[in-house]
This record gives sequence, C-alpha cells and structure tokens, in this order.
Amino acid sequence: MKEPFVHIANLNLQYAGIPILQDLNWQIVKGEHWVIGGKSGTGKTTLAKIIAGQEKANGDVSINFNKNSNSPAQAYYVSNWYQFTNLEGERNFYYQQRYNKHQQNDTLTVYADLVHFGEKHNLAFDQAEPLLLQLGFDNCRNTQLIELSSGEHKKLQLIQALWLRPQLLIVDEPFTGLDKASRANLLEIFDDIAEKGTTLLLITNDKDLPTAINCYAEIQNGQLLQMASADSFSKDTERQQKPLPYFLQELPKVSSNIMVELKDVSVRYGEKEVLKNVSWTVKAGEKWLLQGPNGSGKSTLLSLLTGDHPQAYTANIWLFGQKRGTGESIWDIKEKIGIISPELHWYFDKNATVWHSVASGFYDSIGWFIDVKHEERKKIEQLLDFFDLLPDKNKILHTLPLGKQRLALLARTIIKNPQLLILDEPCQGLDRAQTVHFNAVVDELCNYGKTLIYVGHYESQLPDCINHRLILEKGEVVDCETVREPIKQ
Amino acid sequence: MVNYFNTLPLREQLNQLSQAELMEPSEFTDGIDALKGKKIVIVGCGAQGLNQGLNLRDSGLDIAYALRKEAIEQKRDSWKNATDNNFTVGTYEELIPNADLVINLTPDKQHTSVINAVQPLMKQGAALSYSHGFNIVEEGMVIRKDITVIMVAPKCPGSEVRAEYLRGFGVPTLIAVHPENDPEGKGWPYAKAYCVGTGGHRAGVLKSSFVAEVKSDLMGEQTILCGLLQTGSILSFDKMIEKGIDAGYASKLVQYGVEVITEALKHGGVSGMMDRLSNVAKVKAFQISEELKDIMRPLFEKHQDDIMSGHFSKTMMEDWANGDANLLKWRAETGETAFEKTAAGDVKIDEQEYFDNYLLMVAFVRAGVELAFEVMVEAGIKPESAYYESLHETPLIANTIARKKLFEMNRVISDTAEYGCYLFDQACKPLLADFMKKIDSDVVGKNFNEGKSGSVDNATLVQINEILRSHPVEIVGVKLRKSMTAMKAIKTV
Repeated sequence: MKEPFVHIANLNLQYAGIPILQDLNWQIVKGEHWVIGGKSGTGKTTLAKIIAGQEKANGDVSINFNKNSNSPAQAYYVSNWYQFTNLEGERNFYYQQRYNKHQQNDTLTVYADLVHFGEKHNLAFDQAEPLLLQLGFDNCRNTQLIELSSGEHKKLQLIQALWLRPQLLIVDEPFTGLDKASRANLLEIFDDIAEKGTTLLLITNDKDLPTAINCYAEIQNGQLLQMASADSFSKDTERQQKPLPYFLQELPKVSSNIMVELKDVSVRYGEKEVLKNVSWTVKAGEKWLLQGPNGSGKSTLLSLLTGDHPQAYTANIWLFGQKRGTGESIWDIKEKIGIISPELHWYFDKNATVWHSVASGFYDSIGWFIDVKHEERKKIEQLLDFFDLLPDKNKILHTLPLGKQRLALLARTIIKNPQLLILDEPCQGLDRAQTVHFNAVVDELCNYGKTLIYVGHYESQLPDCINHRLILEKGEVVDCETVREPIKQ
Repeated sequence: MVNYFNTLPLREQLNQLSQAELMEPSEFTDGIDALKGKKIVIVGCGAQGLNQGLNLRDSGLDIAYALRKEAIEQKRDSWKNATDNNFTVGTYEELIPNADLVINLTPDKQHTSVINAVQPLMKQGAALSYSHGFNIVEEGMVIRKDITVIMVAPKCPGSEVRAEYLRGFGVPTLIAVHPENDPEGKGWPYAKAYCVGTGGHRAGVLKSSFVAEVKSDLMGEQTILCGLLQTGSILSFDKMIEKGIDAGYASKLVQYGVEVITEALKHGGVSGMMDRLSNVAKVKAFQISEELKDIMRPLFEKHQDDIMSGHFSKTMMEDWANGDANLLKWRAETGETAFEKTAAGDVKIDEQEYFDNYLLMVAFVRAGVELAFEVMVEAGIKPESAYYESLHETPLIANTIARKKLFEMNRVISDTAEYGCYLFDQACKPLLADFMKKIDSDVVGKNFNEGKSGSVDNATLVQINEILRSHPVEIVGVKLRKSMTAMKAIKTV
C-alpha cells in the first residue's frame, strides 16, 4: 500500500474543558479529494486549521509532500472570513471605514496585494490573470483592499489560493458570499487544479460540489466518520416552531409611507463610478429583494440607506420622509432600521456576550447598558428563548458556531421591532437547514407590518414574502419589478 | 503678544489651573441643540479636522471646511479629504463671514497665522473653538471681545475619534470656555453640544480650562508620554546590545514591548500593570522604579517649573523663529540611533514574555506615570487633569512606537510635543548614566524569573501592593476608567 499523503493519528483537542477532537485518526491518500460536512460546531474548522498548522493540538499530523512536484509543498488554508491588514500589518479597521475617504492610503490595492503575494510565493503574474477574469475580479485591480465588499474579499482569498496551487488546499465554506457566475467558474477551477495534482479538502454542507470530490466525512463525537455522499451528512436538529414573542406581533410605528426614496443617485470614488443614476422607491410594507453580482454596488447602495455613506449628504435621498443632510443624525436613521450584514458581523465586538449583543440592539450600540430597563430585559429573555439561545446567553458571541452567531445578530436586529429590516446576505455561511430556519423567521416577522430589504444571491435561499426585486449590475439598475409568486425555486 | 498665564494674579492662576470636574451624563441631555442649524466651519482638514467633521455632520450638524487658497488650488490632501467626503469646501473669505462657530483644527504652530487671517472675517458674536490652548495661554493671542472662545479636545488620535463614534461610543474629551471670551454666556452650551456631536459625552468629559489643559498637556507629553518612552527605549536597547542580546530580538522587545506593557496600564492602572509580573519580579520592578523616581524627580520638576513660568514656550518659540534649528537637529539625531536603525527580528515573543523580559520598561513606566502625576498635582493641577495627561495617554503614544518606532511617534505627535520630548531626552540620559551602569540583562532582555525560587517575603509584598494601590493616580484612575469602561466593555458596532 502506498504511503498516505496526509496522516493524522490520535488527535486530541479541548476547548475550555470541552473535548472537540478525541483520538481522531484520518488518512488522505493521493487521488482522494474530501469534503467535510455535518452539524455546526463539531470542530470542522478547528481540524482544518490544525492540518494547515495554524492551530496546535495533541497528536500526530504528518503530510508527505512530493519534493519533486512543481506545486508548493504547502497545506494552504482559506478561511471562511476574510482578513486583511494595513500597510503596518495591523487589523484595527472599523465598521464602515471603507466609506470614509482619507488621503493617507492605509491598505494596498488589489493589484499591489497580488503582486506582493506572487513575489512571496514565487509565482508568475500571468497565471493569475485568467483567475481574475473567471471570478469576475478584473475590474477590482486598482481598488484598495479596504474598499472591497465581503464577497470581493472572499474572491481575493480564493484567487490567491488557486494561483498558488499548493499540494494540499483546504477551503472553509468556499462558496460563501459568491455570486452565481463566480460559483460555477470556481467549481471548474477546483476540478482543474485537482487534475494538476492539488489535493482538495473542502468544508461545506453544499451539495453542488466539484466533480473531483470523491470522499465525504463528518466529525462525530470528536472522531472522523466517513460518509457515503454529501446527502448523508447529519443535519442540525430542526427547530421547534415557537410563537413569535408578543412584542414583535405589534405593528411597528411607521414614520412615512415612503420609507426610502432615491432620485438619480450616483456614487463615485475618483474615476470609479460605483453607483450610476440609481432611482428607487421603497414604500412601507414592501418586501424587496436586492440582487447583483459581487461588486455591483449593493453594499454601497445599502450604506446610503443606513446613514453610513458620506456621499449621501449631497445626493437626492429621502429616508423616512426626511431629506438626507437636513439636520438628522445617523442615530435618528439607525433607530428606525434593523440591520444585519457580513461586515457588521465581522466588525462586531469580539468580547460581547450573546446577551450584550442582543441588548445593544435597543441602542444601535449606543451603550447605556447600565440602564437596560426591566421591560427591555424581559424582551431580551423572550427573544433569546424564541431563538433557542437561552443556554448560550452568557457565552462570548464569537465562540459560538456561525449559525448561532447569525441568529443572535438577527435577534439584535429585531429586538427594537424596527419598521425597516435590511438583511444583507444574512444567510452567508449558513447551511441549508439553517437558511430555511432563518428565512422562516423572517417570513414570520414580516407578517407583522415590517418593510424588508433582503440581499441574497441564490433564489433557492430566500424568504417567501419577497414581493419586489431590484437588480444591480455594475452600479446600474437593470431591473426593478413587482414579484407576484414567491421567487423561491 | 504676552504670555496670558503670566498676566494673571496668583489667585486667578490657581483658580484656572484647578478647573477639573468629571461631568455627569445628565449635563448632556440637550444633545446638539445649542448648535443645531448653526453654520459650523472647520479650519484644517487633517486627521482631527476630518474625523471630527465626519462625526459632527453625522450628528446632524451643518459642517463646511475653510482651507487656504493654495491648499484648494493645489488640491492638497486637506482639500481631497474634505471633497472626497462631499463636504462643502471654500476659502476663508468665502466661508468664515457666515460662520456661527469656527473650529480651528490646524497644527499648533500655525495657530497665530490662522487666527490672524480668520478673526477679521468672523461675524459679530460668532464663536471660535480650539482643541489645544497653547495659542491663547502661551502665545497670548487675544481674541475680539464679542467672540466666544471654547475648547473641545478629544484625548485620542483622530482615527479613534471616528472609529469609536461609529461604534456608537466616543473618546474621553476635555472641554473648556476661555473666561476672557464668554460675552453671551453661550460658551458652555456650545462646548457641550460640540462634544456631543463628536460622541465624547459617552466616554467621560472633563470640564477644564484653557490654562489647566495647556499646563498639564505640555507636562505630560514632555515627560512620561514621549520623553521618557524615548529615553527608556533607547537606553534599554543599548543595554541589551552591550550585554550580547540578539539585536533583532532587542529591537522587537523594545518596539512592541512598550505597547503590550501599557495596554495593561490602560485597563488596570499602574497596579494592574505591575500585577502582570511574578512576585519576585514585582519586588524588583518596584525597587528599580523607586530608585528611578528619586533620580528623575528633579528633572520632572524642572520641566513643570519651566512650563509654568513660560520659559519652555518662550525658548520653543525662539526655535520656531530660528527655523526650527534645534528641533530638526534633534529629530535627525533620533533617526540615527541604533534602536531606530535595527529592524525588529522575525522572532515570536509571547505577550507575557514582554513583561518577564522587559521588567526595566515596567519600572520606567511606573516611575514616569507616578512622577508626572505627582509633580502636576503639586503644581496645582487637579488629579483628574493629571490622570488624562499622564496615565491615560501613555498607551496611545506607545501604539505609535509599536507602529514604526520613535521616528513614527515623533512624526505623529505635535511639534510642541516633539520639541519637549527631545528636551527631556537630552537631559534624562546623562542623569541615568550611573543608574544604567548597574543594570544587567536580567531586567532587560532575559526572563527575570529564570533560576529564581519565586518566593518573596510576604510582608514586603503586602507593603508594596499597598503602596502601589493607594497612590492617588490609582484612586482617581478607578473613578475615571469607570466612566470609560462602562462604554468600552459593551462597545459593539
């Protein structure tokens, strides 16, 4: 029998006294390409990081790299979340900083970052060019890293990994946040590099996988269990239907029948036009889907509505009946909106407990926490119960599995019963069962007079209540329509 | 112009020096109302100017930027900063005459020329704001009697002012009204509303005076904040090289160590920082820092005396007039030190290792913070002011050293701070020569605990802890940090 490529023996890891991995054994033979799926919180990401040498555990992990191969002898890990640093190697950026313009450029451009990566790993730049095209990234070359949206950051990470073509490529939730076209191309590129000798290890519960994938596994009780196919992965237990807390069954106060009005709004950064002549009216009670490829301007458009974009002050924008820049504060605006987005999640306080995170929703993070009133405390408890988060309420938010973190942030978003919900890719990184659960809650909430703007790439992953759709491409509105039937499927 | 402070009778000097009151949240319930609908024009669009302006506009205020004609014509960075964020930008002549409030956020050194250009254009009864009182107190600028003069000084770099605001918080801020210029009694309502607009009211606001701000700010930046961190860093590095410690390691320990060590200071004060050491190390650090306090006290006192008498600002302004001859010479010398020229090595240093292997810096920080605080308070400055200008700002300055060493620190701080820093450093190094001869690598470069039993005399330890915890900087620190951490602990987005 030939020597295994990856050999893992008796791997053990505990986190805060709770065993995550227990005597885990695993062998990957050349020619095998694995997917790890299964329930959230079983240790998939931890295992991936251990193999890539980013985390330590007790036990043996050895990888027999081929010294004669022209692929780098590396186990390269692409995380679910993006990370980038400024020119001094720090990561202390703040929420929505990318919309505030400063002359001192703190981060590299995409092009400079790629050149830097290429030099570090000794790669020829012309090999990156096709990847930029296939993942629809070609127009981002001169963009500063800080200006990229979450989907674009994900792409940049993938481009670097695929360009590197390491002998072992580990990708955590590869499809998170990608638009449809990029996703289809990514599947092909995975197959291409697998053929050229890269061993793939993907962490996902997605069923739409590269054809090269031929082995499936999940982690159960800290051990690796091989499965027959992606269909046989264990699913998170289905949520029991619970009635929506009473305070959310009350119709929210509506400030104006026309919630959002944009007339001929453009946003440009120097030469780059991010939004072009966008006009859009959102009336109270409407449920909008906002769609478009990565980089089409969705996040920028939403930042105009949430008070986060400086250029809103000189554009024709009315929010809740008031023209922007006529004496309102961003906190007056945020008070009326419940927001959730990958970026908000990314920049969320890493030290907040679940309870604190939800409570901060009352104040849009204006932190008079000392003053949380009795009534508000009761609401927090009710909502935590509704989302089955009571047992986790004192845990640090970011230590929970991603799905639970998102539910906690949704709870934060709705705790004040806002009139407008802006959910920007709320299901990014969630598996199908979690997505269905999440969207069912959104539908339920929307029965009670909410206005909704929802961003999602995939038709199969939307709430039923959607009745309008706006589609952006390259910053322009290409479609704005009323939807009669549920878009789903 | 004559030094304003020196024109005051002693009783009034003491009165203004001792202004320091932590304000209650209930004093800010009117929000931004006093400035709502008023025309606010900011002069200068650097880090403070831009970030404060972004916050004020996001709070519902009407903000425009007045820049010098050349800055606009040549599309300088200040012009780009303002226009890229869709602010109205105009010349002084275009914008100042209509302004109800002019906010001066230009560098200290330009204040006289800026005020001379702006003041004649200001309308009757307008208000003028500073974020540092040097121009009024030391240079003695006299403002027209119909104009209200206030100060709003966020005690953080501009980028932090913005970041904390967007998270829904703010940074600790000092506000003041110049007693010579409050003809309509609107000074405090304006200063409070401006402070609310920047988010400062959520993080602890100190009601101060122009005099107290200047005299404490100068003292802090010259001694503990910049001067001592520079002296301590250079001496520590040189000692490690002398004792054969790897240069890359030494460079990294010094560059990042001060940031890690003062981070503990930020959260738990001096005793919190000292608690990061083992018992034996704490006893040693205590002894060294006591010795350092004795040696350096006269120097700290001299700096405070020169600041109070106006001697410091007089000599610095002479250097300004002399084309910054001394400043530029000292700046060049700092760029040439061995520490500055040795890149941080590619070695991993664990967080605790920065304490265990850099005990000397812990001792320097304790000595410097306590000395600066003590000397300020002895000179008539209130503990609250002294705390902000010593302990509170130390981690912020340490962060600049971690970024790009002392050169970066001196680039980021004001020219005034930089000048004072070199002045201190020049005097402090010879003062510590004998002390440094006794220092070995066990307190800088190597783990002090290595090869030691770890046991200490209990009574000694109890006594040391008692001395550390009962120091007045700790007492006032607990009170002030409470008003900040109430926010910090739950900062979200």
